[in-house]
Amino acid sequence: MSVELVDVHKRYQDGRRTHEAVAGVSLSLTAGSLTVLAGPSGSGKSTLLALAGGMTTPTSGDVRLFGQSIVTLRDHHRARLRRERVGFVFQDLGLIGSLTLLDNVLLPLLPSGASNAAAETHARAWLARLGLGDLADSRADKLSGGERQRGALARAVVTSPDLLLLDEPTAHVDRESAAEIVRALGELRDAGTIILASTHDPRLVEREEVDRVVELRDGRLLA
Amino acid sequence: MMVGLAFITMLFASVVFLTDALRHESRLGIDQLPDLMVQRTVAGRPALVDATHVATLAAMRGVESVTPRVWGYLYVPSLEANLTIVGMRSDGPEHGALDGALDGALPSGENDVVVGSTLAERLGLQLGDQVALPAADGYQLVHIVGLFRSTSALRTADVVLAAEPLARTLLGMPEELYTDLAVELRVASEASVIANRAAELFPGARVLQRTLLERTHALTFDARGGLVSVLLLPALAALLLLAWDRLTGLGEVERREIGILKAVGWQTSEVLEVRLLEQLIVALTGASLGVSLAYGYVFWLGAPGLSGALFGWSALYPELRLTPHLDASTPLSILAAVVLPYVAVGLVPAFRAAVMDPLDAQRGRS
Repeated sequence: MSVELVDVHKRYQDGRRTHEAVAGVSLSLTAGSLTVLAGPSGSGKSTLLALAGGMTTPTSGDVRLFGQSIVTLRDHHRARLRRERVGFVFQDLGLIGSLTLLDNVLLPLLPSGASNAAAETHARAWLARLGLGDLADSRADKLSGGERQRGALARAVVTSPDLLLLDEPTAHVDRESAAEIVRALGELRDAGTIILASTHDPRLVEREEVDRVVELRDGRLLA
Repeated sequence: MMVGLAFITMLFASVVFLTDALRHESRLGIDQLPDLMVQRTVAGRPALVDATHVATLAAMRGVESVTPRVWGYLYVPSLEANLTIVGMRSDGPEHGALDGALDGALPSGENDVVVGSTLAERLGLQLGDQVALPAADGYQLVHIVGLFRSTSALRTADVVLAAEPLARTLLGMPEELYTDLAVELRVASEASVIANRAAELFPGARVLQRTLLERTHALTFDARGGLVSVLLLPALAALLLLAWDRLTGLGEVERREIGILKAVGWQTSEVLEVRLLEQLIVALTGASLGVSLAYGYVFWLGAPGLSGALFGWSALYPELRLTPHLDASTPLSILAAVVLPYVAVGLVPAFRAAVMDPLDAQRGRS
């Protein structure tokens, strides 16, 4: 069970100019590993995470998730792959403010056909585990940065994904919350989850739970 | 958006309700008309009919009865309006037909009258009052013994019902002459045949059939209703353009939400299902609110503002409380006309966002 990026390029057309966000990245992630993707803003970290999670397709190169190339998968197959095997914490957290925290965490479970009661029990259990049990029925836009960060993590892991991608997971939290989050990631890593987290927060890079740090500059991995 | 939708739906539904109810009222009035009305014209203008024609017409095959009628218009300077004076024969059919349509009594004394509720309100009159009306030779004092109820105001707003002699006095109409003749037939379907024979029998006569009047009324209401509806089209177009603009700009928030749903594994079809449901809820709520408001506006408030455009045949506009007359298809048609375009307008941009890569949808990149 692994994730492989092979000579991946991602280019965007910006008016007449072509912008290459990711320029020939090859990376292999194995089960039970926590890899940190470091680099300054604009270095292509978010795009690389999106590519690794099948949220976009490369302009060239290949991304293989658990043996399947996402380049050749149809849109609905990629959606199913994301739903069943990938969890994602966005840089802006991606919580829907008008919904409660519980409803946000339930979002990935709704299309899976799980019964409402079972899904809710499961979601509440994850919220409790991340210290948000009392806030389950609060609107997401009423929560603090740290609470929203942990809520986003709960939504990412509620489906027990094989691959967990996190974009700046400690950006909105204080030192203590950051440590809690990293501890939780360590537990998930120990359970066999592949974790790739982007950051430019040295607190995360230096943590003992981190197995590997790779650095991205101008869309390229530094050796 | 929902408020705008409710407002436009209310305007449309009001016109539809109003024209439907008016058509219904009109149909009720037409049902009480005789099969044929025979008038006389001289130089192309209406003229009085001689009483001798009554017997001639009554003798025609297929004619059940002929009733000579006295009615006409009386200009009242203080109102700057014409009143419709209707003479009532002591043996006329009005006695039975008017049961339940008025408060008070039918005229029995020589100066007794029944007046329309709108007229009474405009002149501040009540049952038992006396009022001087301008007559052909000076003023004539009349005694109000009855008031037509507001439910019949469409037909009685400006009516003064009097015994035939008083009506003649008010209108300055000589004895043995009538405004027209009301003809009832044994078989109503023979109306056009008998109308042609009557026209041949009385050169210069104008014979009106009930079906013709029915068609004229229907066309009038359709034309008026259509006119107001056409005036509302720009408003609807403006709303749809607004909706289109808002939904194609598909606000950053909505597009981002669609991107999030896609990112967490929702299929395009699942996103569209939810969007469809949302659009349906907004559209149905807005349109239902509009239909309900229109119902209250037309049937409880009497459609202030719109009624002027649709009741415009009388100098005295009736203070009418229309009787609700709706079949299920009317509100359903209105809902379909508003809901379907609105939902379609909302789905197209949602589809465009839903088929994008989740990353692009979230970043607002097309």
